[in-house]
Amino acid sequence: MMIRRHFTYWTAVLLFILAPVLLQAAELASGQKFGAENEIILTYHAPVDKTTMQDGGMYTVFEESDPDIRLEVQKVGISGDGRSVSLLFAEPLNTAKTHVVSIRDAGGAEIESLKVAKSYIGYLLSILISALLVNNFVFTKYLGLCVFFGTSKRKTTAKGMGVVFTIVMVASALMSWFFYQFILIPYGLNFLQIVVFIGLVSLTVQAVDTILRKVNPILFNSFGVYLVLVIANCVIIAVPLIMANNNYSVFETFMLAFGAGGGFLLALYLMSSVRERLELANIPTTFKGLPIAFIVAGQFAMAFLGFSGLQLF
Amino acid sequence: MANDKSSMQLIARGILSENPIFKLALSMCPAVGISTTVINGVMLGIAVLFVQVFSSVTISLFKNKIHPRIRIPTYTLTIATWVTVIDLALAAYLPEAYAKMGIFVKLIVAFAIITMRLEMFACKESAQDSFWDGLGMGLGFLVGMVVIGLVRELLGSGAILGYDVLGFKPLLFFILPSAGFFVVGLMMAFFNWIELAYKQAKGKK
Amino acid sequence: MKDIFTIIIRLTVSCILAATVMGSAFIVTNKAKKHNEHVNEQKVRYALLGYSADKPIPDSMALHEVYRYIVSDKQSQYIGYLLSGKEGFIFLTLDLSGKVIDNKSVEVDEAKVLEKEERDKVVNGIVGAGKDAKFADQTIIVTNNGERIAYLLDGKFTGFKTFIGVMLATDPKFTLLGLEILEHEEDPGLGAEIEQDYFRNQFKGKTFEQLKDLDVVKEPLPDEYFQALEGDIAAEDAAKILKKYGDKDIYALTGATISSRSVNNGVKSIVKKFAYRLNILDTALAEQKIEVAF
Repeated sequence: MMIRRHFTYWTAVLLFILAPVLLQAAELASGQKFGAENEIILTYHAPVDKTTMQDGGMYTVFEESDPDIRLEVQKVGISGDGRSVSLLFAEPLNTAKTHVVSIRDAGGAEIESLKVAKSYIGYLLSILISALLVNNFVFTKYLGLCVFFGTSKRKTTAKGMGVVFTIVMVASALMSWFFYQFILIPYGLNFLQIVVFIGLVSLTVQAVDTILRKVNPILFNSFGVYLVLVIANCVIIAVPLIMANNNYSVFETFMLAFGAGGGFLLALYLMSSVRERLELANIPTTFKGLPIAFIVAGQFAMAFLGFSGLQLF
Repeated sequence: MANDKSSMQLIARGILSENPIFKLALSMCPAVGISTTVINGVMLGIAVLFVQVFSSVTISLFKNKIHPRIRIPTYTLTIATWVTVIDLALAAYLPEAYAKMGIFVKLIVAFAIITMRLEMFACKESAQDSFWDGLGMGLGFLVGMVVIGLVRELLGSGAILGYDVLGFKPLLFFILPSAGFFVVGLMMAFFNWIELAYKQAKGKK
Repeated sequence: MKDIFTIIIRLTVSCILAATVMGSAFIVTNKAKKHNEHVNEQKVRYALLGYSADKPIPDSMALHEVYRYIVSDKQSQYIGYLLSGKEGFIFLTLDLSGKVIDNKSVEVDEAKVLEKEERDKVVNGIVGAGKDAKFADQTIIVTNNGERIAYLLDGKFTGFKTFIGVMLATDPKFTLLGLEILEHEEDPGLGAEIEQDYFRNQFKGKTFEQLKDLDVVKEPLPDEYFQALEGDIAAEDAAKILKKYGDKDIYALTGATISSRSVNNGVKSIVKKFAYRLNILDTALAEQKIEVAF
């Protein structure tokens, strides 16, 4: 009896999960993606009639933001099994934009409309990589330097600061996103950006401080000192401003904040490793302390220039 | 920080012995980030000067009314208000310069130097002294930015204030972003060296 | 407990004070900001057409704005153009293949049309309920004694770091007359050089045919070409040199190939898209025999 009940339960769940897949089967195409730089590849569930499908006029393709500009399909190629069609265009496509392919029958009525875009996960990861390495806030945007030079003397301090910073960064950036989207934009209060964002940061810092003090005093003793420093770090206010400028969605904001925090941690860790060794080195007296730290940071910055133009996705 | 200090002394301290860039090593971000030309340095310097002076005076005027437990939020609010004002004003009246400084004007709100001066000086001293102290610190920042900008502009593009002086471009490297670190580091070392040489000379006498 | 009340009261008071200061600053500066933006825009437009404060545009010339909107309802999308007719404004709706769906004359002040918010309200009122009109872009058609002499196009595209905003001028055959970089955040010394004359002026004089497959080459910029582009030498010599290099591709900036390439691609796509759209619009206007001011 028990087993049977479980069985029906699981079947229902399974059906629910598969529903979108099963429903989609009724449609013509099963997949769409960008091929070579001037190519879109469509795959079908079942082999299609080669002669009808080879007619270029069947397909209308345009960029989603420019629906009035039709891209000219130059050639239609069909694979041997008739299940995959490649559309070749006269000019390279701008793959950063979403393209819409609509398939029409001989009468001109639309059979199906497909959206072709680079995968969203890939886009999110590219934001993360960009904030972490390519546009590292410390080495290529020159933000958060006061705290960076202040807390990169020891590896342990560096790690503590980096972790606390990342947590506060993510929390405050998400709150900022919420306030920006649902309060600042609808009421036309964009000029209050600075006050609202910095207010949210201090709020987060205060909250983390209070919670940590009560919940885990040991952790607080080792990390509490860094909390105050977070407010004096420009990165924490730069991230919400960048988010507002680019009108990011909540996931994109998360990735940006996470990348910024991680990038800061990475920079601190690299720097502290070097500075621990520098203390043992024989440095001219005038360069001791901050001057040599700046020069090392400059070298790191040059190394990070090498990441520029990096595109994984 | 006794009250008998004259206004001149307060200003001189901000520019020389406690220069926010070279001595206190605070507010480094713009010193590295946008100090590629003198004019950029001057513009941001003026913005910081404005915010520093106004925040110092505001806090000093209301110092008795500020509850000690909400000290930091009040400072932040004050600074954020004045930053918003200067941000709006620059965007309205000097749109070209504003475009060059980009995000840095808004980031003044997180500059450690301003909060530090409020905490260390303005919340204890009279409004008049706070004004001079703020002016000194602001000028110190301005001077630092101008000096770095001068070096980078002269060596990087062979010009001063946009006018071609050398007629050729000695080292493009100096306007590249990462060179900001090198210039600031070398200048700090230079100031240390002067101080050291000065002390030694004094010692010999 | 008493503490809490004093804290609350004092924080509230300081927030109100701060809000007053910021609010008044906003009100004071907003007007000036809009005015300055407008003046700046005019300056850039006139500069692209070869006029300046010393050399004002003649009275016979007129600038006509054409605003493009994407109108969408539940099933499909249309393109709407707000343009100045012989008398007053016209709102023309085309379907995606260029057929005229609707043509209405609009009673509205010219000052209202210049303000984006006001204009959006007016246009949304025209398209009616159930449809949504979103502003896409604006172009300016310049006429002299009723003859078209130039187009001014706005555009924004991704550069190396963030967005690059440009304005460019073409003649009626879509030959480029000039390019102006309005905003960018490229690296100083590298990508930021896109705003220099020796890069921007390379685009000047490229015909539509050339533009279609204009490329960026990674070669050092020849000295004489550089001087001619910068305007360092006499105008006659410069013209000769510019002619000599006229059919060359764009020389990439040292260390900023990606920025150079994105400007090149951006300019190409702006002009190509505009040429495509203008063709459709002109055909539609001619077919419907709509009288317009340009």
